[in-house]
Amino acid sequence: MDQLSSADTETPEEAAPATDDAREAVLAEFTSRLGDGVLGSHIRVGDDLWIRVDRAHWLEAAEVAKSMGYRFFDFLSAIDWLPSPFGRDMDAQEDLVVAGTPAKEPEAIVQGYAGGDTRFQLLARLYSISAGMGITFKCDLPDDDLTAPTWSNVFAGANWHEREAREMFGFSFDGHPNMINMYLPVDFVGNPLRKDFPLLARRVRPWPGIVDVEPMPGVADEEGEGE
Amino acid sequence: MGLVESGKLPKPLAKLLNISRKYSIWAYQWGLACCAIEMGAAFASPRYDVMRLGVIPFPASPRQADLVVIAGTVTDKLAPAVVRLYEQMPDPKYVISMGSCANCGGPYWDSYSVTKGVDQLIPVDVYVPGCPPRPEALLEGIILLQERIAHEDMAERWKGGPIVVS
Amino acid sequence: MTAVSDPQSVAALVAEANDNRVNLDFETEGMTLNMGPQHPATHGTLRIIARLDGEQVISAEPMCGYMHRGYEKLTEVRTYPQINALINRIDWLGSFANEVPFILAAEKLMDVEAPPRAQWIRTILFEMSRVANISLFLGDFGLQLGGMTAGFYAFRDREWVLNQIESATGGRFHPNFDRIGGLKDDLPKGWIEESHTAMDKLLAFCDEMEDLLVGNEIFQGRTRGIGVIPAEIALSYGLSGANLRASGVDWDLRRDNCPPGLVYDQADWKVWTHPDGDCFARTWVRLQETREAAKIVKQLLDTIPSGPVMAKVPRIIKVPAGEAYVATENPLGEMGYYVVSKGDLVPFRVKIRSASFNNISVLPWVARGAYVPDLISILGSLYFILGDIDR
Repeated sequence: MDQLSSADTETPEEAAPATDDAREAVLAEFTSRLGDGVLGSHIRVGDDLWIRVDRAHWLEAAEVAKSMGYRFFDFLSAIDWLPSPFGRDMDAQEDLVVAGTPAKEPEAIVQGYAGGDTRFQLLARLYSISAGMGITFKCDLPDDDLTAPTWSNVFAGANWHEREAREMFGFSFDGHPNMINMYLPVDFVGNPLRKDFPLLARRVRPWPGIVDVEPMPGVADEEGEGE
Repeated sequence: MGLVESGKLPKPLAKLLNISRKYSIWAYQWGLACCAIEMGAAFASPRYDVMRLGVIPFPASPRQADLVVIAGTVTDKLAPAVVRLYEQMPDPKYVISMGSCANCGGPYWDSYSVTKGVDQLIPVDVYVPGCPPRPEALLEGIILLQERIAHEDMAERWKGGPIVVS
Repeated sequence: MTAVSDPQSVAALVAEANDNRVNLDFETEGMTLNMGPQHPATHGTLRIIARLDGEQVISAEPMCGYMHRGYEKLTEVRTYPQINALINRIDWLGSFANEVPFILAAEKLMDVEAPPRAQWIRTILFEMSRVANISLFLGDFGLQLGGMTAGFYAFRDREWVLNQIESATGGRFHPNFDRIGGLKDDLPKGWIEESHTAMDKLLAFCDEMEDLLVGNEIFQGRTRGIGVIPAEIALSYGLSGANLRASGVDWDLRRDNCPPGLVYDQADWKVWTHPDGDCFARTWVRLQETREAAKIVKQLLDTIPSGPVMAKVPRIIKVPAGEAYVATENPLGEMGYYVVSKGDLVPFRVKIRSASFNNISVLPWVARGAYVPDLISILGSLYFILGDIDR
């Protein structure tokens, strides 16, 4: 898990001598334009670029990226880094055999690429058709104030994605024109994509178990119940 | 139809009535999810051709329909619309629940937004299993429904007052 | 619905001016038209609340969520092979194409690569599901514009492709054939010749559709110049696939950013664009794409390498910690999976970037000022699958 929370900037994966000049250049230009708004970054060589920006610079990041040619809006969502408080207790005993018994005390929050400090992180992706590269943006949101400026004035497509993020995670977006529920009925209680939102059907009836451990047909098996 | 309502329908007449009802089922197309495409293949494609069974799949409104095929996932948000649709249909009305989602929730058995079975909302006559069922399976379901209609006692069905859906 | 960007404000002003003109002539009042949740033009349970002035749409606001099944939450409690079975059902017309980007993302995290034969068969099945998907679009769009015959023809000829997919994978609709590291099985005997025949039938179907539907004068009258989306608007809404290419943007993930594991570079094919950006352009681009897909399949069928179809992967799949985003050019547009793994049996978070969600979000912009019958053309030509919007 440690290699996940990589330190700042251009550390390609261990002992990989290759560097990604194109993405390094994009990162350098972005950093020079945004100033100290860039909190962390991660490059996977030949594949992808992650940039974590300050919440105060979230809107500016979109504008800067758009002016750099990243005009295709891919998606905007969020990640809840809290380890599920239900652990694997919703699983059947077969799963426990495979996965081991669940840890007793809750695990610490470990953020992914480009680091992070808070439980909730905004996640957005823009793409440049001319450069053929995408940037994944992340932004920490403090627990006591889950708001961020809206991107919908820069990328009109962010409108719906922010509505979705609002109901799924309970965020709010300053300046959003139409903050109503996207998917859920208005009387729905809770934010489903938060990790502490339980799937009640699973708690009532436990998961029947991993079926993949069943032997394939023709493979000798002492139980003989594989079909 | 006074005979039906008073419960004094002679047997041959009842049989004739049932045969004619059986072969003129007006099916309302209520496509929800993946199963709707297989229902479309059964209803609108020349290969499966549901009309040879006496099903007419073109009523424009549920008020003209005898049968509704619930083909796909019913979500909690959609549930009021399903109940309303059922209430709009004139009696005698039949429901085929097509596919695992409509039967019991299917692959979304643990989802927070899916109704686990349309029979929680409206009475279902025939369940067609599968995810999605092949068009042939839906045709088999329709044949089962026709058998059911053929053996139905209309007077019995009418005896107990108006049908109320809670 | 409020205007959110400059072109939108301009469009709102134009629409308002139009409204005023209509008001002066006919003294009509505003009216709200509710389409759905079930409407033949909406392919499922999309509800559209259109405010009308006479025959003109002032605003059209889609209400989604009638098919929201909670995929992103369910992925957090399912193992990777189980997710593979689940995500078939997102875009239910091109099921096999849904599996591929997810499997590729997992393979990227695990650093596994499928053997060449599996890559070939994946690409072939991917393109077959595109043919199955878009051929239904052609028929369905004709159906919505009043030409029932197209619908019958599409359902008839689509069966050829479905038969091939079924005989290879065992599933007519939801194959669940992809595995991390390869495929479940090899191709059955005689499949290659049969597929050639099927693709020939589909190429003939495309010609037939061109004569019957796309060349039809009424069809052109109802689609040409209707629902024009400029390229810049399309990009900022994140439109992808044929909707974007019909606006003149020459971008296809299969050619420009093909993830490793698919072999589009082994076939000779072409990306079609259209400068107009209207409903006709979208239909035309899709028609050409169907042809190209059939051609890709026919070329790849002749060059399938021999060898195994499954790489060495552990029986219990645990994906190492990391994050990966893989997107492919699905029949509806860019479909991508952002997979966050913590080295467990189940992914920590999967963000599903589905094409239709972005594609349909442009509807309020493009429908403003259109006429009610044009709304059907616009909806049909944007081509969405409800499972792909609501997930």
